[in-house]
Amino acid sequence: MATDTLKSPAGTGGASGPGGLRRLLLDNGALTALIVLVVALSALSGDFLTADNLLNIGVQAAVTAILAFGVTFVIVSAGIDLSVGSVAALSATVLAWSATSEGVPVVLAVLLAVATGTVCGLVNGFLISYGKLPPFIATLAMLSVARGLSLVISQGSPIAFPESVSRLGDTIGGWLPVPVLVMVAMGLITAFVLRRTYLGRSMYAIGGNEEAARLSGLRVSRQKLAVYALSGLFAAAAGIVLASRLSSAQPQAAQGYELDAIAAVVIGGASLAGGTGKASGTLIGALILAVLRNGLNLLSVSAFWQQVVIGVVIALAVLLDTVRRKAGAAPVAAGAGGGPGRGRQAATYLLAAVVAVAVVGATSLLHGGAQTAAQQRIGLSLSTLNNPFFVQIRAGAEAEAKKLGVDLTVTDAQNDASQQANQLQNFTSGGLASIVVNPVDSDAVGPAVQAANRAGIPVVGVDRGVNDAKTAALVSSDNVEGGRLGARALAEKLGGKGTIVILQGQAGTSASRERGAGFTEGLKAYPGVKVVAKQPADFDRTKGLDVMTNLLQAHPDIDGVFAENDEMALGATKALGSKAGTSVQVVGFDGTPDGLKAVEDGTLYASVAQQPRELGRIAVDNALRAAAGEKVSATVKVPVKVVTKENVAGFGG
Amino acid sequence: MSDPDELLRIEGIHKAFPGVIALDGVDFDLRRGEVHVLLGENGAGKSTLIKMLSGADTPDAGRILVGNEEVRIKGAQDAERLQIATIYQEFVLVPDLSVAENIFLGRQPRRYGMVDRKRMEADAEQLLARVGVHVSPRALVRELGIARRQMVEIAKALSLDARVLIMDEPTAVLTTEETDKLFAIVRQLRADGVGVVFITHHLEEIAALGDRVTVIRDGKSVGQVPASTGQDELVRLMVGRPIEQQYPRQPAEAGDPLLTVEGLTRDGVFHDVSFEVRAGEVVGIAGLVGAGRTELVRAVFGADTYDKGTVKAGGAAVRRHDVGAAMAAGIGLVPEDRKGQGLVLDASVEENLGLVTLRQATRAGLVDLRGQREAAARIANRLGIRMAGPGQQARTLSGGNQQKIVIGKWLLADTRVLILDEPTRGIDVGAKVEIYQLVNELTAAGAAVLMISSDLPEVLGMSDRVLVMAHGRIAGELPAGEATQDAVMALAVSNPTTETEAPRGH
Repeated sequence: MATDTLKSPAGTGGASGPGGLRRLLLDNGALTALIVLVVALSALSGDFLTADNLLNIGVQAAVTAILAFGVTFVIVSAGIDLSVGSVAALSATVLAWSATSEGVPVVLAVLLAVATGTVCGLVNGFLISYGKLPPFIATLAMLSVARGLSLVISQGSPIAFPESVSRLGDTIGGWLPVPVLVMVAMGLITAFVLRRTYLGRSMYAIGGNEEAARLSGLRVSRQKLAVYALSGLFAAAAGIVLASRLSSAQPQAAQGYELDAIAAVVIGGASLAGGTGKASGTLIGALILAVLRNGLNLLSVSAFWQQVVIGVVIALAVLLDTVRRKAGAAPVAAGAGGGPGRGRQAATYLLAAVVAVAVVGATSLLHGGAQTAAQQRIGLSLSTLNNPFFVQIRAGAEAEAKKLGVDLTVTDAQNDASQQANQLQNFTSGGLASIVVNPVDSDAVGPAVQAANRAGIPVVGVDRGVNDAKTAALVSSDNVEGGRLGARALAEKLGGKGTIVILQGQAGTSASRERGAGFTEGLKAYPGVKVVAKQPADFDRTKGLDVMTNLLQAHPDIDGVFAENDEMALGATKALGSKAGTSVQVVGFDGTPDGLKAVEDGTLYASVAQQPRELGRIAVDNALRAAAGEKVSATVKVPVKVVTKENVAGFGG
Repeated sequence: MSDPDELLRIEGIHKAFPGVIALDGVDFDLRRGEVHVLLGENGAGKSTLIKMLSGADTPDAGRILVGNEEVRIKGAQDAERLQIATIYQEFVLVPDLSVAENIFLGRQPRRYGMVDRKRMEADAEQLLARVGVHVSPRALVRELGIARRQMVEIAKALSLDARVLIMDEPTAVLTTEETDKLFAIVRQLRADGVGVVFITHHLEEIAALGDRVTVIRDGKSVGQVPASTGQDELVRLMVGRPIEQQYPRQPAEAGDPLLTVEGLTRDGVFHDVSFEVRAGEVVGIAGLVGAGRTELVRAVFGADTYDKGTVKAGGAAVRRHDVGAAMAAGIGLVPEDRKGQGLVLDASVEENLGLVTLRQATRAGLVDLRGQREAAARIANRLGIRMAGPGQQARTLSGGNQQKIVIGKWLLADTRVLILDEPTRGIDVGAKVEIYQLVNELTAAGAAVLMISSDLPEVLGMSDRVLVMAHGRIAGELPAGEATQDAVMALAVSNPTTETEAPRGH
């Protein structure tokens, strides 16, 4: 807020010392909220206020902060950029692809990545400035295009990141993380651009009143082009930092980060109407989000409630700022009297107190289990809880933990490899006895598991393996074998001939790759069965329904469907209606309760059943044994089985 | 106190905003069937005072009595219940709703839970007929000109059945004819027993319409006088000192042409407009609202494009639709819509002043902030902008001071030809004279001023030559000596479209 910076010398002229501090806090609601959060979390968790953990928070805030700095430019000039998450993923993918697959020198590859981000931004800017598209629409289009391109380039699979660039995710001198340095540097650049440069000053003018800026001779169109280009450039930087932390460029990385970035900017005091916003505010906003996620992990708050708490805190932080703004009118003039002003200040303090109570209350209420020192603590990081399969793993793990009397913290990475890295980092600094991880991506989880290895904490993989790091054990079902079994079951049922379609899981996930590969392999034995279409439905039931409906338009006469999980299979049976189980045979994967019920009802012909509860149970068991120093076998295979109507009775949840 | 005719009484109202004491003891009263004029410079506190009555703001201290009972007006609903209606200076109409919907906004007649469009439109039609404006109740407000929007506002106030009607500078945007129509409506309302609080800067309107005048200065009510009081006395009360001359134009020696416009045409908007402005000259452009004056000067400045013709500054052609080129040629524009186009309202005085020179003050992408700050302080001082400090938000300044900022940013850029579009609309007498002095200084220094104004006395008082526009064409040109209100109006209502060459002279 330009006006604030100018006002403060005049306003605080008289005040000094404690008065100055109070004023600083009153002037910046977000800072107050951050301090309240830090104090509350320090009081609640002994692991929070350690140098290590604070650096972790810095690292975890870095990507969001860098994205948000770029978005700050856009929001100050009264625009919006929804594409930054996708552009970050695309830039990182371009870097990894050009350096790894195409053999481009790393320096050039980095430049190419930065150029990619900038060009995406320029395209946004061009569409907005000259094409007169609303920023929301132009960048929404770019969100989709950039995400799609990164999938195209990577062909859906993560690409290993060049070693030399991956250093960006490391630490200097073993303790100072490079992402934090990059974040600070980008923050300083942002502050400098906003405050001192022609471009920055123009942003405030354009955001404040575009027409007035134009009539004052500012080249609004050209400036906007530069604003979006900057945003794209920052997104590229964020993408590179993100990928280097994971040593892998993920085509699906940074999904939804644009909303985090926008939230950070707004929490930091910017207005979506434009004309206000500061780099320091944005940094504080990003830190609030990171502190919150970190603290909730440390306090073992239930994964579902975490999202609720985060939403509430975002709303309260901005509310605090709004109240502050009204109170910010606090009387400067003599005689205008303290009465109402004091009332408003009181309101600000009251709201701050409400935030504190809310955080403390929520965290202690939702606290996973009593944190008695005697109990051994282990952590379970799941790739997602948005799917019954993983919920089953959790149930198995929790039951076992309860039986053995250990405190189990479960986190949900929401299919985001970098969020998972953060959670593992938090586990590691929280000093757990051992960690069970269900990787979002086997490559990307590597660096975080390495860190746990260094801290001497044993890690057990469940369902998916961990590459490039040591795991005490891998507890999994065999996805490739499951794919083969699925192919055989479907082909036999069709009598060795017919046409089928495949519903693929989320592009780039190992489950999708392995099940797909196994299925293709298994189908080779049945040349009479033709695959007429293969489309992704992201492991999601609704998408399964939509994609199947579309496929039926093109291929009304198919005989079979293979879905890489039960959710999609169930969506497909909805689309097929009465054909399901009669003229079209559907085979799913996972053996979830819903899936098994459909098998029982006959709409699903078969499901390749894993035993998720078993996976969870055995993983916890192995983790505890590894923590006690016992020997455990490196791989534990939990058998998969094709479940059909004949044998479904034997499988219950 | 027990006067049965008294509708409204205000006693010792105080109100402070951050950094400013807006009202510092104002007394005011209103009787049935009178027009009570509220007079004062901008920033004196008139707008704040009426906000207390309309519920947009609440006083820190003091009493408001309606019908001898003390009331607290906390919101628009309270005001409506007390039958107090307000017509603001800035209209509060929703552009994308129809006229009828705007009139009955929030109170649409309903039938079976749904808006009874037919009845609403019929009622609106009646109200519109009462204010004497011919506009369909179904027309979107967006399509209406500023004068018609004003009439819609009045119709809206009438629909509230108000006992107290507050009008904040209703004539500022109206032509003489429209003003006459408005006065007729106000007189009718007065005869019906409505009490009208009327705010105006046009002193001649006071005698024509008012009954009593309360003068506010620096947040205090400084006097109550009958409306027949002489203008000089009113000005003295308002400004706190006598003003010798309302239009202090000091003609300067006319030099070389600085701006030459030849055959400028934008189809359907303005046609074949040619004129020149010489160094040291003030050229006024008069005409009715909608004659194409604003569109013309925006095209000259490059803010909009044109189809045919040329604009030359200092002998060199200026690229069309290129604000940067116009600025480089020394042309500056103070737009008609001060808040919408002239100012970044949430930015500081200093930043607004530095807007035009931002690029010049940039070296290698970096802005010379200190230089900008010093220049802003210098110009603010020279223009006598009344503010708490250069960091004050432009939004919180009075209209006159805001306008000084818009002019000031062009002065900083060494503008040779300054185009002023309605430079004193909504500005009080004191600030007006200061702006006129500024125009004098500019022309004395060899610059030229092109001034659009709907305020005829202003055009006549300040211009060395007057161009009159009608229907997008120059209907005629009058030297200062020959320009009278009648002569200008005769040209303004003429229809020059049939002639290929507009007549020059009179």
